[in-house]
Amino acid sequence: MLVMNKVLIICTAFLTVATASVITSCSNNRSTGIEYARNMYDPIAYNPDQPNKNFKDGKTAQTPPAGTSPVGFDKNENYPNTPEGYQAASAGLSNPLPVTVPTLEQGKTLYLNMCSHCHGNEGKGDGSIVKMEKFPAPPSYSTGNSSRGGSMKDLTDGKIYHTITYGLNLMGPHKYQLTPEQRWKIVMYVHELQKLQ
Amino acid sequence: MRSISLFFRSVTKSLILVSFLAVAAVSSASAQDVAAGGAIFKQKCTACHAVGKVVVGPDLKGVTERREEAWLLKWIKNAPALIASGDPVAKEVEAFSPAAMSAFPELSDDDVKNILAYVKAEETKPAADPKAAGGASAEGGSGEISNFMIFGLIAVIIIAFIVIVVLNRVIRTLERVMLQKQGVLVEDDEVVPGDRLAGLKRLTKNKKFILFVVLLLVIFLGSAGWMGMWETGVHTGYQPVQPIKFSHQLHAGVNKIDCQYCHTGAFTSKNASIPSLNVCMNCHNYVTASDKYDGKTSPEIQKIYHALDYNETTKQYGNNTKPVEWIRIHNLPDLAYFNHSQHVSVAGIECQKCHGPIQTMEEVYQYSPLTMKWCVNCHKETEVNHKDNPYYDRLIAAHDKLKKGEKVTAAVLGGLECSKCHY
Repeated sequence: MLVMNKVLIICTAFLTVATASVITSCSNNRSTGIEYARNMYDPIAYNPDQPNKNFKDGKTAQTPPAGTSPVGFDKNENYPNTPEGYQAASAGLSNPLPVTVPTLEQGKTLYLNMCSHCHGNEGKGDGSIVKMEKFPAPPSYSTGNSSRGGSMKDLTDGKIYHTITYGLNLMGPHKYQLTPEQRWKIVMYVHELQKLQ
Repeated sequence: MRSISLFFRSVTKSLILVSFLAVAAVSSASAQDVAAGGAIFKQKCTACHAVGKVVVGPDLKGVTERREEAWLLKWIKNAPALIASGDPVAKEVEAFSPAAMSAFPELSDDDVKNILAYVKAEETKPAADPKAAGGASAEGGSGEISNFMIFGLIAVIIIAFIVIVVLNRVIRTLERVMLQKQGVLVEDDEVVPGDRLAGLKRLTKNKKFILFVVLLLVIFLGSAGWMGMWETGVHTGYQPVQPIKFSHQLHAGVNKIDCQYCHTGAFTSKNASIPSLNVCMNCHNYVTASDKYDGKTSPEIQKIYHALDYNETTKQYGNNTKPVEWIRIHNLPDLAYFNHSQHVSVAGIECQKCHGPIQTMEEVYQYSPLTMKWCVNCHKETEVNHKDNPYYDRLIAAHDKLKKGEKVTAAVLGGLECSKCHY
């Protein structure tokens, strides 16, 4: 009798472990698992990353129609991505933001987050990925020469702004990642880096 | 005869020695040139040029054979002047790209020769170690480990059980054999099948045993059900297969690219925003990881080029673009409102607080449960940083007015703002 019970207990314990492991193996990290009332998750309005049948290309995130611009972004393209546009920006653009300590600090944060990987924390063209030799070095703001002539430390507001907007040589355009105001803050901070020795 | 051969041998020996020394001297001299040229090349040229690859300017591989040295000297030191002088070769080279080659008047003839020596040395450099590719291709399979382990565990348990049963039998027969040897008569305790069934029948009538089994079942099923209910709709650990094997461990961990560089929206809007492919191209117009794939572009980076209809050799974009369909990992129910900028910019919370050690994740998974309890617990602990925040300045001013007994109307608290009624 006792022997019989022992065997049964062992059997039940074994079955418990086996079933438990089978059940846990069902919860696979590639799926979201059991969901109740899925419709509570799905938004009624479309999220920007959702597919959307209402548009021809099936995307919710549409580019703005030609001739329009979102609030706070580039209003017009008076300074096109050409050497002439670059010179025109140099002559016609100046930083609309007054130089203040908080603005400079915001510019520094933006510079460190968006630019320092290549240009280096002090703008010497020795950023972290340049040091790892994964990306070629840009010229130093304080000692280098611009590929469009002149020395980097003499770059004007408009030239720096134009380069952040459209990029130059290996640098890509950053107008999609930075609003004009953010770009001007960075321009302000780059002027500080140009003064370094 | 013998002396002649000896003499000949010594002469050849000394000749070999001399020539060896000469070669060593020459190569060390050129090594110095190469090093000096390399330093200048990295400082002044890499923004537009590379050896073995078109960047902005043409591929410099074989440039010393394509063009004469005298022409190269003139071109590198002052390209605009050479174009202006009407040099036919310069005109041809100018047409390569809309970006113009700038003048480098600060370089001496020796500097330029060093650069050319460096370019030549780079050409002959052996291709990347094919072994390096092994590391990159030896991925995948990490996802199946958990399943494999569970099935392995079950198999081990089954095998262990069989072994125990078999060993028990063996021990019993051995004991019987020993007892028989000692002359003890062993009564046959082999159970007849009918008896076994009888035992089972007896067990089903044993109320204590039934209670035990029912109790076990209730505990097991109850706890499984309870846990299942807690996990319903909670996606912690969710790790879907993404269309491109983008590694945060490489980009955010090793390369230390700041989160804001790609997820610009996290600081300014409700959405953290999945970067569009033009952000990828800011680096991947140059970075192709070809050293890990035998000189070819990495297949994952090729997916970016394919989606953008970008031609690697001509560096031109086509019109046949397709979106990359990333799979959303963090699905907050639509009934809850969450705004990234409020948490990141205003509260200054680090991304890792909610997203976990993202800089170590080769493949992103959901770290936090995103349950209401999780949100509420954090909101109970987190102190409000009201410094330099005009919202709280106005709030405090309103409280001060109330304390002084001044009249505070709805308009004072922003009741006249359009969006109070029209939203």
